[in-house]
Amino acid sequence: MEKPFILHMLTTAKNLSPFDVNMAMDAGWVSAVPYINVEPSEVQGLVQDAIFSRSQKNLKRTAIFIGGRDTKQAMDMLRAAKHAMVPPFEVSVFADPSGAFTTAAGMVAAVERELTTKFNTTLTGKNILALGGTGPVGQAAAVIAAQAGAHVRIIGRQLERAQNIADMCSNEFGDGKITITAGADADKAEYIKTADVVFATGAAGIELLSAELVASAPQLKVAADVNAVPPSGIAGVDAFHDGTPIQGSNSGAVGIGALAIGNIKYQAQNRLLKKMISTDKPVYLHFEHAFEVARDYVKSNA
Amino acid sequence: MQKRSIIHMLDPMQNNSPFDVNMAMDAGFDVLVPYSNVKLDKVYGLTQDAIFSRGPSGVKRTGIFIGGRDLGLAIDMLDTCKQAMVPPFEVSVLADPSGAFTTAAALVACVEKELKEKHGKELKDCNAVVFGGTGPVGVATGVIASLAGASTALIDHLSIDTALDMAKEYNRRFGCSLKGTYASSEADKARLVSNADIIFCTARAGIQVLSADVLNEAKRLKVAGDVNAVPPLGIEGIKLKDMGAPLIHAVNAPGAVGVGALAVGNVKYQLQHELLKSMLETDKPLYLDFRDAFNKARELL
Repeated sequence: MEKPFILHMLTTAKNLSPFDVNMAMDAGWVSAVPYINVEPSEVQGLVQDAIFSRSQKNLKRTAIFIGGRDTKQAMDMLRAAKHAMVPPFEVSVFADPSGAFTTAAGMVAAVERELTTKFNTTLTGKNILALGGTGPVGQAAAVIAAQAGAHVRIIGRQLERAQNIADMCSNEFGDGKITITAGADADKAEYIKTADVVFATGAAGIELLSAELVASAPQLKVAADVNAVPPSGIAGVDAFHDGTPIQGSNSGAVGIGALAIGNIKYQAQNRLLKKMISTDKPVYLHFEHAFEVARDYVKSNA
Repeated sequence: MQKRSIIHMLDPMQNNSPFDVNMAMDAGFDVLVPYSNVKLDKVYGLTQDAIFSRGPSGVKRTGIFIGGRDLGLAIDMLDTCKQAMVPPFEVSVLADPSGAFTTAAALVACVEKELKEKHGKELKDCNAVVFGGTGPVGVATGVIASLAGASTALIDHLSIDTALDMAKEYNRRFGCSLKGTYASSEADKARLVSNADIIFCTARAGIQVLSADVLNEAKRLKVAGDVNAVPPLGIEGIKLKDMGAPLIHAVNAPGAVGVGALAVGNVKYQLQHELLKSMLETDKPLYLDFRDAFNKARELL
């Protein structure tokens, strides 16, 4: 009899996200076992416990998911997990803290699609403002977009904090190969004048870009908002928008709302969870891989 | 339709061991549910909650696993489970904290087998020392060996008080007759090794406890077993897969043989698998601890 598919789900938080549990089971994992309040220092022990009780054949039916809230911690845990493997005793690992990696991937892939279909251009060289960009989704979206060639500026209420996070994104997540800049929320009226794309990834219910600022943006092409709770993060963009022209934009910009992003996010997370089942060699998955599968999905639905 | 089998995994620690999770699923349980931070005083209630919702046929498809790090606590939890049963509402329970019961049972059974085959001796004829004897696997090893009749000493690497306290506590609990001592220097180790028929090495992974020089002092050593699978291994000269291979550095103990960590690990794995499976196959509820693990290990070998 074939052994069951077991996904060991690690989180630094007090509970797993039920969203991720549903996703794991729906992707084909038979058992989704929670490990809570996990300290990064415990990852090695947990991983080694997981890899040494199954044969190589059955390790292909075993994997680890890393949740939690903090992007850097999740990436550190992913690295620690990879480091703890003792080939051929090795399993796949997928980090998606707060679903941020797959959400960010969904958002950037949707923006890229609109740039291509509506404006016949790409992310390369575009100026992107990541409003409310200091949180997990903003960070991951900034890195993904910068790796695709965009100039990304993370905007936060406090410039110093935004700068620290931009530096972390460039160095930790981008290996120093990208440069993400920072800006203060108070200065966004200035930055919007040269923005091609806006990401809104702030807390739910806060308007990050007013109708007045949307109107004042001379080269704005796409504005994406992950917030599904009114009022929307970007004036004129609602949850159902999916490449819909933004009323009041003088540059003909289109909006992408939370549901369109959520749909691609769902597909990306599903594909990565399935990839851990189907892969022959262990894979270590994070925001880059999320973006790859999100792009694939978007292309296959073009 | 037959009900799905469910294993309730109780752990006094924050999380179950992924090792045990894999083992339980692979033994055939359909559904595995973790309970973390379980205090002893909650075990009674959890057990009764588990037995009363499935009917007499459902309880046969239900089991309880007790993990954690602390042997005494695991045994107390097992006893509490047993007391909480209300026949015919009764389910099987297996305690294996840190995998220590199955690891220790496998280690002692492997050593016993070699003792008989290579030296024609029984455990009761022998002096045994347990290096790393105050950790979970060490204590369980000592208790099993002592109950099987070997004159057994738990050895702590630092403190004689720790070793004596442990010996006293477990003698009281299980009616064995463990001694306690310490070995903080090479000279201490040499002295203990020189008089031992059996050496169990259950110290931390990745630490060499007995060097060739120390083994040179062994005069009557017959079998040495090591559970450390991470280099450097616990006893110099024993290879991971050794099962009765000559102990090359014990030059003054003719015929001494070694048992390596993977040889023990293989038996431990089969043992834990069989014990978990027996909970699903049994008609009468089973309450399984290190004693049952040792009996089963002897059967397997």
